Amino acid sequence: MSGRLVASLRRRGAGLVALATACLALAPPLSAQPSVKIMGINGSWERYPSISAGLGSDSEHLPPRPPDPIPEPPLKPEYLAAWRQARDRERELTAQGIPPVSSGSACLPQGMPGMMMATFPMEILESPGQVTFIQEAFNQVRRVYLDEELVAPEDAEPRFSGHSVGRWEGDTLVVETVGVKEYARFQNTPHSMQMRIVERMRLVDNDYLENVITVTDPEYLTKPWTWAWMYKRWPGYKIQEYVCEDNRYAPDDEYQRLQFDKNE
Amino acid sequence: MLAPHSFVVRMVQASIAGEIDYMTLRHRIWAAAASVAPALGTVGPAAAHHSFAPYEPDVQFQLDGVVTKYQWLNPHVYIEMDVTDAQGETKHWLIEGANPGILNRVGWKWNMLSEGDRISVIVSPLRNGEPGALLKALRLEDGRIFSNGGPAGPARIPWDQAKDAAP
Repeated sequence: MSGRLVASLRRRGAGLVALATACLALAPPLSAQPSVKIMGINGSWERYPSISAGLGSDSEHLPPRPPDPIPEPPLKPEYLAAWRQARDRERELTAQGIPPVSSGSACLPQGMPGMMMATFPMEILESPGQVTFIQEAFNQVRRVYLDEELVAPEDAEPRFSGHSVGRWEGDTLVVETVGVKEYARFQNTPHSMQMRIVERMRLVDNDYLENVITVTDPEYLTKPWTWAWMYKRWPGYKIQEYVCEDNRYAPDDEYQRLQFDKNE
Repeated sequence: MLAPHSFVVRMVQASIAGEIDYMTLRHRIWAAAASVAPALGTVGPAAAHHSFAPYEPDVQFQLDGVVTKYQWLNPHVYIEMDVTDAQGETKHWLIEGANPGILNRVGWKWNMLSEGDRISVIVSPLRNGEPGALLKALRLEDGRIFSNGGPAGPARIPWDQAKDAAP
């Protein structure tokens, strides 16, 4: 169509040809260009409400309503019983002062979706075609590619952070993730490689970013598991290094226990 | 769980009585909710690193001693110190801090302690009786005092009052 148009214009004069070419160059097919939409979320953020007892900056204005607590995972009955049993055992042992070992006590990163809880501050970098999340906790980095096709779950190389693509729905950034290692569990919840995570991120106001997370998994869940996390802007905060190098909490043991002679 | 709930009830009553403005009320209720949030989120590997549960939550005492090692590493910072009691007997203690990130945010520096420094600490001991303890507050030779950050909890005893409680 455009070829015929250019041919027709050519007959009418070189000036019009140049104009038409310029117009075509300005309006290429959408998929060929990276998304340049910017949400304005560059910089450092901390979880809101703060989980480090107010270490962040104080806001001048009224904060938004914090998200509700995370509900119990809607696991199929055959998995839910075991999940509750493990939770009760963990609580009981913790109350006795001998918590069971966890991936955290073994110095392993949280992975998706747990890494988005922003245990420690988080940095967001918006660049053309990509949004990058850098968690201070465990130096976790996550790259979200905009307007790209998501890899099929069966082809996704298992990773802690999975594989993520994003798209804009109005002012909401919608991010889809697959390919999270089965071993990387959030709240000890089992999942299959069919797990999909959808995040809907939007600025509630300039200082607060909401992330509504929905997890689906046909193998383990009876229905979508949804909750929200919220982050508060922390202007000027510089993310620190976090290499979990002193693994002294006895990961080879059944319980977390302080080792005295580590690094002697 | 009970404490924040009764706190909220008390604040709402105060609000109705006109003793408190709404904005302050909202701030304080959410601050109270935030203070119990970590307790709700400790199931399994969701915990970022390791638990403080091995320490006795309700016991605090002060130790005065000499630093033998200061280890500034993730996931947690450790201070080793020799504490000599009134009888002249020296005991070696391992004191656990928060992680370097948290401690930097509350004003610590990676090089603010050295072997041989005289320090005082307020701590909670391990429940199993071993000579390890969770730091609540640190006092340097020059008198400067540092907390151990939010997650480890505050010191709840005054300085130089409860030394006899140390084992």
